[in-house]
Amino acid sequence: MRGTALALLIALLLGMVGNAPAPTAAQDRPLVIALGAEPRSLMAMRIIDWTTNVQQMNIYDRLYYWDGFPPRIKPSLAAELPQTPDDLTWIVKLRPGVKFHNGEPLGAEAVKFTFEWLLDPRNESHYRPRFAFIESMEVMDPLTLKIRTKEPAPILRYWLVDFTVMAPGYVRSVGNVEASRNPIGAGPYKFVRWDRDERLVLEANTGYWNKPPAIKRVEFRFIPDFSARLASLLAGESDIVKDVPPVAVEQVNRSGQVEVRGVASSRINYLALVNFKPGPLQDRRVRQALNYAVNVDEIVTNLFKGRATRIPGALSSINENVNPNLKPYPFDPERAVKLIKEAGYDPTKLEFTLDSPSGRYPLDKEASEAIASYLGRIGIRVRVVVNEWGTHLDKIINRRTGEMFYLGWGPALEAQGTIAELFRTERTYSGFGTPNLTLEINKAIPIVDLKKRQAAWHRIQVMLYTEAPWIFLWQQHDLYGVNKRVKWEPHPGEKIFLHDASWVQR
Amino acid sequence: MLQFVARRLLEALVVVFLALTVVFALQFLAGDPVKLFLPTDTTQKEIEEFRGRLGFNDPWLVQYARFLRNALRGDFGNSLRQQEPALALVMLRLPATLSLSGVAMLLALGIAIPVGVISAARRNSWFDHLGIGATVLGQAIPGFWLGLMLIYVFSVWLRVLPTGGRGTWLHFIMPSVTLAAFVAARFARLTRSMMLDVLGQDYIRTARAKGLSPQRVLYKHALKNASLPIVTLLALQLGQLLGGAVITETIFAWPGVGRFLVQALLNRDFPVVLVGVFLTAVLYSALNLVADIAYAWLNPRIRYE
Amino acid sequence: MSSTAATLAPALTEPRRARRRLPLNRSGALGLIVVVLVAGAAVLAPAITPYGPADSDLVKTLQPPSRAHWMGTDQLGRDLFTRILYGARVSLTIGLVTVGISGVIGLVVGLISGYLGGLTDVVLMRLVDVQLSFPFILLALVVNAILGIGLQNIILTLIITGWVVYARLVRGEVLALKTLDYVEAARALGAQQMRIVVRHLLPNLWTPIIILSSLQVAQFIVAEAAISFLGFGVQPPMASWGNMLNEGKTYIYNAWWMTTFPGVALVLTALGVNLVGDWLRDTLDPRLGP
Repeated sequence: MRGTALALLIALLLGMVGNAPAPTAAQDRPLVIALGAEPRSLMAMRIIDWTTNVQQMNIYDRLYYWDGFPPRIKPSLAAELPQTPDDLTWIVKLRPGVKFHNGEPLGAEAVKFTFEWLLDPRNESHYRPRFAFIESMEVMDPLTLKIRTKEPAPILRYWLVDFTVMAPGYVRSVGNVEASRNPIGAGPYKFVRWDRDERLVLEANTGYWNKPPAIKRVEFRFIPDFSARLASLLAGESDIVKDVPPVAVEQVNRSGQVEVRGVASSRINYLALVNFKPGPLQDRRVRQALNYAVNVDEIVTNLFKGRATRIPGALSSINENVNPNLKPYPFDPERAVKLIKEAGYDPTKLEFTLDSPSGRYPLDKEASEAIASYLGRIGIRVRVVVNEWGTHLDKIINRRTGEMFYLGWGPALEAQGTIAELFRTERTYSGFGTPNLTLEINKAIPIVDLKKRQAAWHRIQVMLYTEAPWIFLWQQHDLYGVNKRVKWEPHPGEKIFLHDASWVQR
Repeated sequence: MLQFVARRLLEALVVVFLALTVVFALQFLAGDPVKLFLPTDTTQKEIEEFRGRLGFNDPWLVQYARFLRNALRGDFGNSLRQQEPALALVMLRLPATLSLSGVAMLLALGIAIPVGVISAARRNSWFDHLGIGATVLGQAIPGFWLGLMLIYVFSVWLRVLPTGGRGTWLHFIMPSVTLAAFVAARFARLTRSMMLDVLGQDYIRTARAKGLSPQRVLYKHALKNASLPIVTLLALQLGQLLGGAVITETIFAWPGVGRFLVQALLNRDFPVVLVGVFLTAVLYSALNLVADIAYAWLNPRIRYE
Repeated sequence: MSSTAATLAPALTEPRRARRRLPLNRSGALGLIVVVLVAGAAVLAPAITPYGPADSDLVKTLQPPSRAHWMGTDQLGRDLFTRILYGARVSLTIGLVTVGISGVIGLVVGLISGYLGGLTDVVLMRLVDVQLSFPFILLALVVNAILGIGLQNIILTLIITGWVVYARLVRGEVLALKTLDYVEAARALGAQQMRIVVRHLLPNLWTPIIILSSLQVAQFIVAEAAISFLGFGVQPPMASWGNMLNEGKTYIYNAWWMTTFPGVALVLTALGVNLVGDWLRDTLDPRLGP
């Protein structure tokens, strides 16, 4: 009786142990990337979420991608950049000879299918609102797709970046549920299996249109707690970990086999000065004063140890549409006091509440406290309220934050995605709006001609600089902890595309 | 006896029902989760549309009725985060939690009962003092600190054990030790005090006088009679273990229900939270029911109240 | 539910009286010393240390223990020893306030439930059972997630989840006391309810409540630490041993002091309070315990 019970228990336990990764030879060992969460779905073009997209990208590949420093759009699945014979027409040409993992050809049909899929409300894709302006699509030849839009939509050029393509035959035959459990794409890596809450295992696609990837197996491991991810990196279990906190950089570099590789990200951090409710922040002079009052350079040097890159205005210097003529606000507390008084306020009588997340962005809370203390030096009392991430977003969306809130935004590689979303009152995450600005932004959005568009955005950036809707802060540095045996460089676009990764040859 | 069981069963069902209702109500206090699951450039209109489709715009009574009706069929809706059935997602993680809890419980009992018995048999010896010291310490050390220290010593410094996750039997060691420590300490103390109580009784003296070997006296007579409270505590402690698993799973990245629930809470994924609460309430109530029945069975005095 | 299995209290045959002599044994003395030290640290913190708990010196981050910083500094250059002292404040506040309030609530509910019996008892105890059908930590997390983070909310959470233990205990005691001869006699004589409660029931309830409270204090302190450790409870820069452990775990590799000292403080405090609780129980009610 005791013996059988024991045997049963052992069998149960062995069954519950899960899949043990088989020990492998050095070159066969998988490249392990430790992430904080598992994908929300493996279906292409359904969810907009960094974790999900980073993993999907390696399975599906994309039409276009951001490449180089400064980042510029390059074709991947497409053969060349899209053409716009007129304001309402877009021609996308695809690369010949590309096949999905199941042998299906990838051509204009597949792209058209993907568009139709995401536009179908039954599929509940996050991307549907983005492409609402599409009027029709026509397959001109097996490799050419013509898209017509209802109104001029130059943003389409950017929406086609990181656009993943699904296999029509496959999705039609197995349906959404199966297609998201066993995804078929045309990317450098094929899906092997997904152990929930544990790992996503991929293997190299030898039929990839580009040269096959150097690393044969890739594993994304899901470790929610950051210090546990760091532990796995330092113990040699993981090879790549994103978002090493700036203060931990020294200890990682000292470990011997791991080093920190940083890149000035396209993601910017800023302090929003909310002007929705009547108060001192509705006066532009007060907002400018706040910019003069905070010594942003000192925060970058002391708090971030140089691992942040100041942005002069609303866009970073690697943004395609940045106005290069803007210089950041200098540190000038006397001027700040003067401006506040000009606006009719007494700095020592001003009180603001600053909402900050905690650990979502590098040293976000600490930066908020530093900002509060600079403002305190000119007499302004700032109360920093630290929020758990869900609450923080909730407050911003429901307009229940204090007069200021800290937020990050990215990847921000072109203007509309930042300016149109954050400086028009009715947008979800906006903290600021004026009728004039909204007018100008709405005029810029439909401009298709690249030169005219650039000029319009430049003009708007000068307006934004003067309006000072933010205390302009910095581009955060994305700090990746990487094992020295891996040859891979991070990119400001925040994507981890493993096609180019390889093992260091000893 | 049957009446007793039936009554307790009914009470357990009421408890589960009430628990579900309370959590269902609480989700409305926590703010609107829908927006958190949509990308940043969604307009207000689209958010409203999404809410309507998910049924969040109906009056709460309608939502409650729908929730109950679906729950009875085992349909708790889809996870807001992953758009897959919440119940299935939670059930996927259950084996991991059960296996960890099972191993931890075995470990705890395997250490605690012998220690408790021997401590009682050799009262006031060095073994006894050491044992008491260890149990007191074991109950005072918080699990999460123990877990951290273990990771530091064995994974980072000595490099003999993996830092977390699940894979081989090696992955079981640190999490189960962390989970077992508190429970083992509790059990050892209880075993010891129960054994001391029993050992002082007359019939033990009689058995000894009759010339029975000390081992036989100890195990066959004393332990058997001391086992009543131990058995009842066992069922309750198993429930506690499931709670303690929450922190352990988070530290060791163990793919269980506890870790999944904490993530769901942080993400405001309420369908998943509701399922987690439901399963926990059911499991806990079932364990308490078993404990009650076992106690009543073994101790007829309590049965008729 | 398990009103039988959970409380292993034997039936009372006569009222308890608090023991007059309180002999101090070794472990009780040790516990008392620890508790006094922790309380002293909490109250006298500003006098003991020149640093403030939030004083951040970004030049001196992650320094090992030294003469200037007895327990080293953390990732923002804050003195760890200072933060441990101020953390004692948080722990003590939480321990006393939550035990006090949840004790009162539990006492009242348990009294009403046990004394009145009938439907009131059934309803109230079902409520208690609902709450007890969850593992404590999970319940605390859910409540905290809904209420939000911060010191007040964690106190509220612990009160909401903690009163049930008292209610259960008090009800059990009252049920037993109710059957006593002199209580029944008092009722038969027509004495007012309140008088019965105050003069006959309450004095016999103090002992079990005190014993329970001393054990609950330790549990609440550790619970707060656990919740703050998971990121929900007390937020930095306010120092709580739990959130210090949370922040420290990222730097466990070369700043061992950040996780060791708060952990030791937590263990010692829990230990001390537990020892005092055990000693109280042994002296006040020798029937229970080893």
